[in-house]
Amino acid sequence: MVGRPAGGSRRRRLNWHSGGYMPFIWPALLITLAVIVFPWVFTGWMSLQNWQVGAERSFIGLANYARLFSDERFFEATGRTLLYTFLSVLLPLIFGTIAALVFHEEFPLRGFLRGIVVMPMMATPVAIALVWTMMFHPQLGILNYLLSLLGIPPQLWVFDPGTVIPSLVLVETWQWTPLVMLVVLGGLASLPSEPYESALIDGATWFQRLRFITLPMIVPFLVVAAFLRGVDALKSFDIIFAITQGGPGTASETINIYLYLQAFSFNDMGYGSAIAVIFMVLVVALTLILLWLRGCTGWREAQG
Amino acid sequence: MSRTPLQKLVLFLVVLVVISPAFLFFLWMASLSLKPEIDNTAYPPVLIPSSLDWSNYSAMLNEHDFGRYFTNSLIVTGSAVALALLVGVPAAYGIARAKAHKLALVVMIARMTPALSFLIPLFLLFQYLGLMRSLWPQIITHLVVTVPVVIWIMTSFFETLPIELEEASRIDGANRWQVFRLIALPLARPGIMVALILAFIFSWNNFVFGIVLAGRTTRTLPVAVYNSLTYEQISWGPLSAAAILVTLPVLLLTIIAQKQIVQGMTSGAVK
Amino acid sequence: MIRSFGRTTRRQFLVTGVAAGAGVGMPFVRRALAATNWRKFDGTSIEVSMIKSPRGDIIQKNLKAFEDLTGIEVGLEQVPEQQQRQKSVVEFSSGRPSFDVCHLSYHVQKRLFEKGRWLADLKPFLDDPELRDPNLDPEDFSAAGKAYATNEQGELRSLPISVDYWIIYWNKDLFQKAGLEFPQTFDALIAAAEKLTDPATGTYGFVARGMKNANLPVWASFLLGYGVEPVGPGLQLNTTSEGALAATRMYQHLLTKTAPPGTIGFNWNECQAAFLQGKAAMWLDGVGFAPPLEDPTKSRVVGKVGYAVMPKGPQAHASATFGDGLGIADASQNKEAAFLFLQWALSKPLQAQLLQTGSGVPFRKSVLADQTVRQGVKMPAAWVDSVIGSAEVSKFGLPVVVPVTEFRDIFGIALTNTLSGADPKDELQKATDQFRPILEKSEA
Repeated sequence: MVGRPAGGSRRRRLNWHSGGYMPFIWPALLITLAVIVFPWVFTGWMSLQNWQVGAERSFIGLANYARLFSDERFFEATGRTLLYTFLSVLLPLIFGTIAALVFHEEFPLRGFLRGIVVMPMMATPVAIALVWTMMFHPQLGILNYLLSLLGIPPQLWVFDPGTVIPSLVLVETWQWTPLVMLVVLGGLASLPSEPYESALIDGATWFQRLRFITLPMIVPFLVVAAFLRGVDALKSFDIIFAITQGGPGTASETINIYLYLQAFSFNDMGYGSAIAVIFMVLVVALTLILLWLRGCTGWREAQG
Repeated sequence: MSRTPLQKLVLFLVVLVVISPAFLFFLWMASLSLKPEIDNTAYPPVLIPSSLDWSNYSAMLNEHDFGRYFTNSLIVTGSAVALALLVGVPAAYGIARAKAHKLALVVMIARMTPALSFLIPLFLLFQYLGLMRSLWPQIITHLVVTVPVVIWIMTSFFETLPIELEEASRIDGANRWQVFRLIALPLARPGIMVALILAFIFSWNNFVFGIVLAGRTTRTLPVAVYNSLTYEQISWGPLSAAAILVTLPVLLLTIIAQKQIVQGMTSGAVK
Repeated sequence: MIRSFGRTTRRQFLVTGVAAGAGVGMPFVRRALAATNWRKFDGTSIEVSMIKSPRGDIIQKNLKAFEDLTGIEVGLEQVPEQQQRQKSVVEFSSGRPSFDVCHLSYHVQKRLFEKGRWLADLKPFLDDPELRDPNLDPEDFSAAGKAYATNEQGELRSLPISVDYWIIYWNKDLFQKAGLEFPQTFDALIAAAEKLTDPATGTYGFVARGMKNANLPVWASFLLGYGVEPVGPGLQLNTTSEGALAATRMYQHLLTKTAPPGTIGFNWNECQAAFLQGKAAMWLDGVGFAPPLEDPTKSRVVGKVGYAVMPKGPQAHASATFGDGLGIADASQNKEAAFLFLQWALSKPLQAQLLQTGSGVPFRKSVLADQTVRQGVKMPAAWVDSVIGSAEVSKFGLPVVVPVTEFRDIFGIALTNTLSGADPKDELQKATDQFRPILEKSEA
């Protein structure tokens, strides 16, 4: 890829092959590699050790991985991570699209109000998580009070194994709906006006225009949003850590939390590293799948 | 396109519904921070405090070394953003012009890597190098956050810049560096602004790095807030006050620069 | 403040030092007569890593006194418990900890620290008359304190600073309204909790932690009453015994039938909130949680709180005990200065403050027994009585093994599962099977 000549005959004549741009890229690439690759290699090496902090270290080959594949808790955490990620992608996608359609309209104070809507994704996650914890309190929290105003019985939110994941997803959705909104807004702004004009002439209703023109055209943007969201949701840590630390029991223990538990609470660096390696593989694999999907949906055209 | 009064009403209501989750949350957060503890744990909840109680704020500011943590946060985030711009902007230019999207992908993988998986080795490395009592470990790790953001936004920004001007000056004998510095860079100023703001926000909010890499004198604000969770008693008021103190700078920045942020996020995300 | 502290020491030294000398014999007198040279390390600076707690707060508040007394500059930080434990372990294992003095939780870290040999042996300092404050006598620590601080070889590698007994906070109003006396046995406790529970008014008979990890001491309080030691001699696991099963059933019953909804996710703070609101009749938790209950800006139950020793179980009367201490990093370059700090942190004035503010309970018997100290206690008398009563029936709340964290995690999850309806017997069996290999591996 690097050495491939870029298209265009005039460029080739001027010897504008991409190699000439490498000096621009090297510093950033080196920094990234230094900060990322060294730890990767080191983590890979650690995952082959029996390394319990405070005890002697010894090489044990793939034993940590063997243990991983018989670790029920790890598989449960993996399942939970995927469920959590799926919901944390889907819900912001739905609400974000709605919000974007609203903010695509023109109305007074739009800029300021848009600023307010964007605030959740900019706010410091730990700070936000602490406030949500207070709001979830089953006896004293404001959420149950609001529900009681609507005549709904109090919920246990993050204090019940059955509702903890949806409750955390609620926080995640609240925080990241703006991201989807911004991406979709960008998409809406780039849509051509011709289809709408002809649809108006044909007497299409607002809903028909939405269903048959807008939505199909913003699909590539939704895929981009899903991609960004998916990557972040997979490795979500701050919110779960600060609100439930994986509880009640293990009901919200994702891979990231389990990894933290093994490495920093149980001090099992070797096993923790093995989890980290597998987790990395999972993240990269899912990323590549999403990228491939993005390619399939013709996102290139979206740049139009 | 003018709207009928009914349409206006519907739009008004819809907008209200869309902004209320964010608005009400921050309102409640502010309310918690301004009430004495006994109001905060009252049920039904008290929204408007009987009297404004600033003691939660003064307690946080006095008992904790907020000035120092604030300075630490500023230094860490400031340096990480400055360094990221320094290396990231030329890189983004290179990637955009050479169409080296695979390289962009390498940088993006840095963003995708779960932080926990590289913190242990980095911790051991920094300790080996004897850097643990300085802010360097955090500045360097924060580059993992800031560099990808800068490259992500700037690459798409440079791609939108017309190439003709640059080609013309190439024919006039300017080398690539001159073209970048004299032509592309001035045009990219609005993009740089956006990259700066977003990199600042994401770096400011980072929490995980600090848990592992920060010590007593090198702690950043988010970690300090988490640490102010007191043992043995409930302190919703001070906690909310602390939460507001941390997040206020980025919230203000969001409101002030919302237009640039929206632009940056929308254009950056598409590419 | 400083000066008075200095004077006190000297005066006390004259009294206790000579008295002790008379008993022990001449060598000790000679040693005691060479006064502690507090200023020997003037100009040194040390770093102290503490768990965020009222114990830490008291030391932090008085820090200036130490700096003025010794000329040693102290950088002290308090970090939340979980984080401090993790960080200290990571730093110790790297061989170059960033601190000289480290706060440790014996009930979690005792064996881990001993196995890592991370803390310095205190003997050379205790033997150095120039360093040692004659008032500090390891014999003054209660049995639990001595057991916590001494390792298998009989070495003292830390000093116990504060003990934590689990007591029951009870709401006198609610008991009175129901015409009940405070229960003296487990059975009576369950009966009272059932009677005091009325979901219609939102009041519940009992509240305690249900959150995994945090819930272990609650269970331990019941286990001890049933005469069960979770890990017996020779790493024998007693967690599937009849007694363990009964204790688990009791835990499940109390927390599902007589506790507010959501206890499964409760840590101390949610429990405290329920109790502060007057919504819970009994709350089982650590002794250090009292001050906010008597603070009118935080509490709706000021003056109505009773403090009681854990009732008697069918097999034994026991109070689950936990504790923390201070140690010096073996890798530290400033061990002597750090020792002076330890000695100061354990001195009578500071330990007295700990008790008087209700922030904790000293391991030092002489402080607890001192009438003037006790008169200065700002908590109700019943609180002090519960402390003294608990001390008499004190038993370790957690097994003294390396993988305590795993123990708390695995059994904590089992307990949490019983709260969502799982069968206690199955859960105990599963947890025991899961824990056994971990225990054997780490103690091998």
